[in-house]
Amino acid sequence: MANMIMSSSKALITSSSSTIPSSPRFKLSLTQIPFPKLPLPRSPKSLETLSIPSTLKSISVILASSLAIAPPSLAEEIEKASLFDFNLTLPTMMAEFLFLMFALDKIYFSPLGKFMDERDSAIKEKLSSVKDTSTEVKQLEDQAAAIMKAARAEISAALNKMKKETQQEVEQKIAEGRKKVEAELLEALASLENQKEETMKSLDSQIAALSDEIVKKVLPASN
Amino acid sequence: MNVLSCSINTLKGLYDISGVEVGQHFYWQIGGFQVHGQVLITSWVVIAILLGSATIAVRNPQTIPTGGQNFFEYVLEFIRDVSKTQIGEEYGPWVPFIGTMFLFIFVSNWSGALLPWKIIQLPHGELAAPTNDINTTVALALLTSVAYFYAGLTKRGLGYFGKYIQPTPILLPINILEDFTKPLSLSFRLFGNILADELVVVVLVSLVPLVVPIPVMLLGLFTSGIQALIFATLAAAYIGESMEGHH
Repeated sequence: MANMIMSSSKALITSSSSTIPSSPRFKLSLTQIPFPKLPLPRSPKSLETLSIPSTLKSISVILASSLAIAPPSLAEEIEKASLFDFNLTLPTMMAEFLFLMFALDKIYFSPLGKFMDERDSAIKEKLSSVKDTSTEVKQLEDQAAAIMKAARAEISAALNKMKKETQQEVEQKIAEGRKKVEAELLEALASLENQKEETMKSLDSQIAALSDEIVKKVLPASN
Repeated sequence: MNVLSCSINTLKGLYDISGVEVGQHFYWQIGGFQVHGQVLITSWVVIAILLGSATIAVRNPQTIPTGGQNFFEYVLEFIRDVSKTQIGEEYGPWVPFIGTMFLFIFVSNWSGALLPWKIIQLPHGELAAPTNDINTTVALALLTSVAYFYAGLTKRGLGYFGKYIQPTPILLPINILEDFTKPLSLSFRLFGNILADELVVVVLVSLVPLVVPIPVMLLGLFTSGIQALIFATLAAAYIGESMEGHH
């Protein structure tokens, strides 16, 4: 295939144009893709003049025309142009990559990685320490609860004591009052009794006088 | 003859409009050797972007990260995650390698899509993503090969070569072949994807300059990121594979 294209294009070049060098060392191979292959509308006359298969012919015409329009210098460039052109660029790129690797390691990977690792460990430490304080908080809460309990107990005890004291006082006062009232009552009762006895005595004497008088009045004749 | 010259003229016009340049290089001569100048220039820019942004973001790390530091911490977490899942618990020493692989490829790919390289005119060739050149991708792939050989040899000594006759010695040729196919597939996958992506965008822009290329450009950004991730993940997977022994 390549040979056919080559031969046909060579034939075309030599026959159709005089501007190109007489012996172009143009080799069509995989390593050379010099220009885009664009399909072109062709006139029927050109089809007739060339007696090779149409696809081959169009390719060859494009190749030939591209070569033909190129000035000698450009033709040389195209000859040199190649995709798979290995040279000193390869080891240079290797060296550049290695340089980039060491430089990036120095200024990016190592420092930032170390920084991130340190931060991670610091955060983990802080987290674990926070877990520890949670037990501390529990202890403190327990303590607070105990203190509150003690204070409540104290207060209730004081309250009870006060209640008892006041109650005793009140009872004492009540008892005193009762005693006083009873004593007064007794006194009053005693005086009442006295008065009763006195009145009874006076009544007795009056009764004797009255009965004397009654007897005198009833029995005057008998005298 | 007339028709031919006419068609040649149309072709020339199309060629000028599209301006697709593939396999054109801006050669520099260094001591008798040739290098691709455009690749070196763009790779320097990519390296400068990476080092500069990293320096600015990580210069003074804060306990509570903000802005750039937050982003770079996220990236580092991501890289560590990738290395850890592929390599295992001993991923630590390989983070710089995997991370640089990922960042370099990612920033290179995106620089090809986002930075207006085309503004700067070169004598020949044009500026594009460094991963657009086979030299770069092969360099990265070969470094990956060296890395996984180094990982296996340091971890398991000469017993590392025992993996070639496992599970049966019949597979020896295939196992040896794998050492060649791994870098080959790595480099060509990346190279092909990035080159094809840029070509598609350039051709579409030359055909329809407005709106139509935008979805393809977005797809290109997505593919670029995926390719960087694939390269880094596979490199880590190869390293992890050579470090784990068949007990």
